[in-house]
Amino acid sequence: MNAREMAWRVFASELNSSTVEIKATEEKMPSYVISPLGAKINKVLIAGVLTEKENIGSEDEPMWKARIQDVSGSFYVNVGKFQPEASASLSDLETPCYVAAVGRVRTYSTDDGRVFLSVRPDRIMQISEETRKEWVLDTAKSTWSRLKNVKKVLGMPDAKENDLIAMGMSPVEAFGIIYALDNYGNMPDSALYLKTIQAALRVILPDRDIDLGFPEDMSDEPDEIEMDMSGKTSEGNNSAQMEDLILDLLAELDTDGKGAPRDELERRAEAQGISSIELEEVSNILMDKGLVYEPNLRYLKRI
Amino acid sequence: MDRNELTPTFEELKRVLGDSITDEQLWIELDKYLNEYHTAIETAKRGIIRKYGGSDTPTFVTGNSIVKKISELTGSEASVDITAKAVFVDRKDITVKGQMKTIISGIIGDETGTASFTVWEPGSVELAKGSVYNFRNCYCKTWNDKVQINIGSRGRIEPAEGVSMDLPDRQISVVSQECKIGSIKDGMGNVTVTGKIVSVESRDIVARGEQKTVFSGIIADDTGKVQFSAWSDFSLKEGETVCIKNAYIRSWKGIPQLNMGDRCEISRVDEIAGIIDTSCNRKTVEEISKIGGGLDITLEGFIVDVRQGSGMIRRCPQCNRSILNGVCTAHGEVTGVADLRLKVILDDGTGSIGAIINRADTEKLTGVTLQAAEGLASIKGEGAVGREMASKIMMKKIEVTGNVMSDDYGPSIIVKSAKKSDTDVIAEAEALLKEVEASI
Repeated sequence: MNAREMAWRVFASELNSSTVEIKATEEKMPSYVISPLGAKINKVLIAGVLTEKENIGSEDEPMWKARIQDVSGSFYVNVGKFQPEASASLSDLETPCYVAAVGRVRTYSTDDGRVFLSVRPDRIMQISEETRKEWVLDTAKSTWSRLKNVKKVLGMPDAKENDLIAMGMSPVEAFGIIYALDNYGNMPDSALYLKTIQAALRVILPDRDIDLGFPEDMSDEPDEIEMDMSGKTSEGNNSAQMEDLILDLLAELDTDGKGAPRDELERRAEAQGISSIELEEVSNILMDKGLVYEPNLRYLKRI
Repeated sequence: MDRNELTPTFEELKRVLGDSITDEQLWIELDKYLNEYHTAIETAKRGIIRKYGGSDTPTFVTGNSIVKKISELTGSEASVDITAKAVFVDRKDITVKGQMKTIISGIIGDETGTASFTVWEPGSVELAKGSVYNFRNCYCKTWNDKVQINIGSRGRIEPAEGVSMDLPDRQISVVSQECKIGSIKDGMGNVTVTGKIVSVESRDIVARGEQKTVFSGIIADDTGKVQFSAWSDFSLKEGETVCIKNAYIRSWKGIPQLNMGDRCEISRVDEIAGIIDTSCNRKTVEEISKIGGGLDITLEGFIVDVRQGSGMIRRCPQCNRSILNGVCTAHGEVTGVADLRLKVILDDGTGSIGAIINRADTEKLTGVTLQAAEGLASIKGEGAVGREMASKIMMKKIEVTGNVMSDDYGPSIIVKSAKKSDTDVIAEAEALLKEVEASI
């Protein structure tokens, strides 16, 4: 049975500090990001304030970049042509407003090994303040439950997945926690998550003077994601940059006049920080522009 | 292969062949088959059995058959010989492809275990309970993870003269497992549950050509409720608390049901505390996915997707199926009756589930009535209705109650009632605050 991937409730602080991935090795196999608190994330449901949006594609083929800010930081959002519904709603939305979005999480790694996360929503909708609070509550409860579980497991050095399941955790939770503790070199920064929960509760209970003893700052926001990963160029021509890069790669890999083998191209593009999905998009754009063609399914060639 | 590796094979053959071969000779044969000619072990076993088994065991029918104990059966055997005692025998008439047929079924056992069996072509064969038989050329299948032994037209049953067999009592009547209703799963046998009869009604049905009265209803304890069917009259009454022994669980469309068969025992017991509110059986998506299904389950979550087939649909006036382009799959071309419905994906952070919401609740949740939808459809087309509704309910938190069932695509809930979530956000936030404060 192919279970539908569920949408995790995570705050930006937890998502953005995730660096461990389980990459798909086979077709149709989902990829996951494991958060420091052990959430095994493929999809997320996020909500917050849409603070900025920008079309980095064209009028006809929009590619949106946007930011959604929650109580702990910002989610980075990318919407391309494979998310027509989200793309349509995003073009109608006016910043700032409360939105919720469901989508898959994607990672970018830089040359110096840093990992950035973005969300590629299938759906994004304006929501009421009330719904936003419901999300904040859900997410705070979910974060707290993960934090509690991690603390429990830290106290049992030899615990295996089955032991955790016996303690009442779900198989997914148990797997995620063990995987996180094994693969993050250090303990999760519980102060960060407590501070996030504090901020969440302050949003829902503004009249209570909530002080869990954490300073109110949001300095844990990671840097801006640059889609081309070099960080050298200004925003806006990322897509053009990628096109140039792919064209260069195609010329370089076309050693025998048959074109560039797809798998090789994918590997090289990946090394340059272009994911296979982006590569797919860029090569479609290039084909539409009449700059490249597919001599057969396994090759791509410059015209 | 050396002797150590071959010991299990040796012993298996020894059991089959007994005195018809000396240990030494058997080792020589094994060595010849396996080390000299490099045949597969199964081939070697067959060859040796045929070579030595022939004279002293005239009942040995075919060289293709292997001999196994019941506990060794995997359920994939195509031809296997079993010597076992008839523990329970029942001759009954069934209808196969419209034809009446007599079969014998029951339970056989040896010293290693018991299994159910069916003789499909019994002819004049009579099995006596307590006697030991050689069941030859049987084939095995599994059902609900249990091995079933089948004796088909190629099979034969012969009395095993002079063989007596002691079966451990325990294996004949498997110990009944006590079980809470909330943790009932498909395929369980011999369960004991204690619960309150919430409702009971009788139905007359025809089973195997016989008129029969079944009593069915709902039974609940402090963890959940389940539909039951009693195949004989235990004079169950609504409101009484009973302890049901030796019931078995079978699922219908992923919804587990409690069955009370012939071996079932019922006793009246004291009322148990904390019977769940049967109108509301609150679960998380993860919990209900694990069980597979259930009745009147209440779930709460965000609508994360509105699927195709939502909004305005047309139904066949005869069978109520939703129809496409004016054609019903059962009744051909018909004039469809307009209806509203929603097919959404509900996600509560523990899992996600498909939900189908009827017209009344669709109108309530979206604020779009059928009349308004028809108006909108006449101006902008029926597709616009779905989009309009999606924009009204997407990303809203709702609470739904209905029956959950599972298929290859995972669980889904047929919603009987739906409403906007009425979570008290403030109170829950206060509770969380208290918990967090207490722990740091």
